[in-house]
Amino acid sequence: MVTGTFEVVTRPVSRTVPAVRLSGWHRLRRGIVPYAYLAPAVALLVVWTYQPLAQTAYLSFHSWNLVPTSPMAAVGTANYERLLTTGELGEAVWHTVEVIAGMLPFTVAIPVVVALLVRRIRGRAQAVYRALVFAPMLVAPVAGAAVWQWLLDPSAGAVNRVLGTDLNWLNTTSTAQLSLIVITGWHVVGFAVLVVWAGMTGINPDYGDAARVDGATPGQVTRWVTLPLLSPTLAFLGLMTVLLSAQWTFPLIDTLTQGGPVGATTNVYYLLWELGFRSHDAGLAAAAGVLFFVGFIVVAALLTRLADRLTHHDD
Amino acid sequence: MSRVRLQGLTRRFGSVTAVDDVWLDVADGELLVLLGPSGCGKSTLLRMIAGLLPPTAGRVLLDDTDVTTVPPQRRDVAMVFQSYALYPHLSVAGNIGFPLRARRRSRADIRRKVTEVAGALDLSALLDRKPRELSGGQRQRVALGRALVRDPGAFLMDEPLSNLDARLRATTRAEIAELHRALGATIVYVTHDQVEAMTMATRVAVLDQGRVEQAGTPAEVYDEPASVFVATFLGAPAMNIVPATVVATDGGLTVRATDLDLPLGIDATTPGRDVLLGVRPEHLTLTGEPGIRAVVTAVENLGGDEVAHCRAGTHTLAVRGPRPLRLAAGDRVGLTARPEHLHLFDPGTGGRLVWRTADIATPERNFA
Ligand SMILES: Nc1ncnc2c1ncn2[C@@H]1O[C@H](COP(=O)(O)OP(=O)(O)OP(=O)(O)O)[C@@H](O)[C@H]1O
Ligand SMILES: [Mg+2]
Repeated sequence: MVTGTFEVVTRPVSRTVPAVRLSGWHRLRRGIVPYAYLAPAVALLVVWTYQPLAQTAYLSFHSWNLVPTSPMAAVGTANYERLLTTGELGEAVWHTVEVIAGMLPFTVAIPVVVALLVRRIRGRAQAVYRALVFAPMLVAPVAGAAVWQWLLDPSAGAVNRVLGTDLNWLNTTSTAQLSLIVITGWHVVGFAVLVVWAGMTGINPDYGDAARVDGATPGQVTRWVTLPLLSPTLAFLGLMTVLLSAQWTFPLIDTLTQGGPVGATTNVYYLLWELGFRSHDAGLAAAAGVLFFVGFIVVAALLTRLADRLTHHDD
Repeated sequence: MSRVRLQGLTRRFGSVTAVDDVWLDVADGELLVLLGPSGCGKSTLLRMIAGLLPPTAGRVLLDDTDVTTVPPQRRDVAMVFQSYALYPHLSVAGNIGFPLRARRRSRADIRRKVTEVAGALDLSALLDRKPRELSGGQRQRVALGRALVRDPGAFLMDEPLSNLDARLRATTRAEIAELHRALGATIVYVTHDQVEAMTMATRVAVLDQGRVEQAGTPAEVYDEPASVFVATFLGAPAMNIVPATVVATDGGLTVRATDLDLPLGIDATTPGRDVLLGVRPEHLTLTGEPGIRAVVTAVENLGGDEVAHCRAGTHTLAVRGPRPLRLAAGDRVGLTARPEHLHLFDPGTGGRLVWRTADIATPERNFA
C-alpha cells in the first residue's frame, strides 16, 4: 500500500522590491522644473502687483505731494489716523455698498431671468437675442457715458421726455447714484447673461429630463434643479459684483459726476483717486489703498467660504 | 400598471432616421427588452415613450390613452437613465423622494414612503449621503428607488446596468427580474447586452438602424432568428454564416458550398437557389463522416467550453463544445450539424427562409 499526504500548493512568493531612487542631481532637477515654468508669471506679478503694493504700504507711512523733487517725510500712522477720523472714508464705503447692492440685480437676477427665457427660443433667433443683450458690453465706457449724459440731459434729454419727469438726474444727490448704477448695469448685464448662459450649458440636460419624468412642472424644474445646479455660477457673479462694482463705475463717475454732487457718488476707488491725484496727498491715498486692499481681502475670503458652503457642485 | 403601445413611431434627426416605423405592443406586466447595437435608436425610442422627445411620426398609447402630445410630467411613466441622473445637490432621501415632492405629497408621507423603498433596496444607511459619495452600484439602486417610489404605469430603463462590474451586474439583474415578478410591473428595458436580454425578458425586440428586426420570446429570437442580423447579434461566438446553394439530390434537399455538403432533411425537389446558411457554433459536431471538411486554425479556451476556429473552403467556422475538444491548430476535422439546426437566409434581403411544400394542404415547416 502506498501512503501520502495532501500538501498546499505553493503560491508565488512576494518579495519587496526596493523603490527606485533618484540621484541628488535628478531629484534637484525634478524639484526645480515646476518653479521654472511658474517663474515668468511670478516675475510679472512681482513687478506689477506685489512691488507696487509694498511701495504703497511704505508710502502710507509718509507724507509726500507726488512732486519728484520734494522730500518724503516719515509721519508714522498719521495718515491712517486722518483717514479714520474724517467722515469721508465711511461715506465712501457706504456709497460702495450702495453700488454693490444696486448692481446685484443687473449681475445676478436679470441675467438668470433672461438666460431662462432665451433658452426657450430655438435656432437662429437665440443667437440674435444673445448678441443684442451682449452688445452694450462692446461700447467703450466713456463713449457710453457721453451718450447717457445726452440722454439724461435735464432740459432736452430723452429720459425726462419719456418718463415725463423734470429731473436733473446726474446733479441731484438722490438720483445721481441711481443713474450711475443703471448705466453701469446696462453695460455689464450682457456679460453676466453670457456667464449664466455658459453655466446653464454646463448642466447635464439629463437632470432636467429626469425631473420632468419624475413629475416636476417647468417651474419646479427651474427652482429645484436648474437654479441649485447653477449656484456656483451665481456665487461667482456675486463675488465679482462685490469686488469689482466700484471699479466698473469708476469711468462713469469720472466722466459724468466727478464724485458729486456733494460726494454722493464718491465710492472707495474714486475717493482714493481724489486723495492722490486731486489733493496730491500721496501718503493719505496710499493709506486708503492699503485699507481697501485689506478690506477686500477679508470680504473676498468670507464670500468664498460662504459660497463653498451654499453651492452645490455637479461631479 | 399599464399597457404600452407604439404605433408607427418614427424619429428623424435631419437626414438620420434614428427610429423607423416601430410598432410594438407591451402587455401589462410584461418585461420587454429593446436589444440592439450602439446607435440603433434604443435611447431615442425610450425618450419618445417618456415624452422627452417628440416623434416625427406615429403615436404612443398608455393603456387606451393617446399620450403622444402629453408632456413627460403628466405621463405616468418612471425612467431610469443610463447616466442615472441623480440630482447631485440632493441627498439620497431627497433623490428618492423627489417624484413625491413634485406631486405635493405631505412631508410625513414622503418620509414614510422613502424609508420603505430604501429598506427594500438596502439603502437605509445611506439616506443622508450625496450621490457623489456613493459607489456605482449604490447609485444604481438610488436611481431604481426614485422610480419605484411612485407606482408608475410603466418603468423605462435605459441600460441601467452598463456602468456596473460583471458581478454586481449579475446580482442587480436578478434583483430587477425579481422586482418585475413581485410588482407585476410593465417594464421597457434597453440594453445591448444579450445576456441581460435572454435572462430577463419576457419578450425581446431586436433593433437595427431604428427598425424592429424581430420581436419574440428569448427562445424564439434565438432559435428562429428572423434575419441574418438577429442571427449574428445573439449568441457568442456569433452564428456562422456561409454563402451556399440549395440543390435537389437523390436523398432530398442539400445545402452545398466548397467543402460543405449538409442534408436539409426535406425529401422534395426544388429549383436550386443561392442562400446564406447559418449554423450556431454549438450546433456543429465533430464526426468522422465529412459533412464539412475543415482545418482547425486556432483554439480558444472559454473555461467550461472551447471554441475551435476552422477554415472550410474560403470560409471560417467557429465550433463550440465542452472542454477539452482535443483539437489543435492544423488538425483536419469533419463537422456536421443536424437539419433542424440549419438556418437558411435570403442572400439579398437577409430574411429567414422557411420551407413550404407546393401542396397547399401541408402546413409550413420551419427549420429549427
Ligand atoms: N439629438 C440628436 N441629434 C442628432 N442625432 C441624434 C440625436 N440623438 C440621437 N441621434 C442619432 O440617432 C441614432 C440613435 O441614437 P440613440 O441614442 O437612440 O442610440 P442607442 O441605440 O441608444 O445607442 P447606445 O447603445 O450607444 O446608447 C444615432 O445615430 C445618433 O447619432
Ligand atoms: Mg442609448
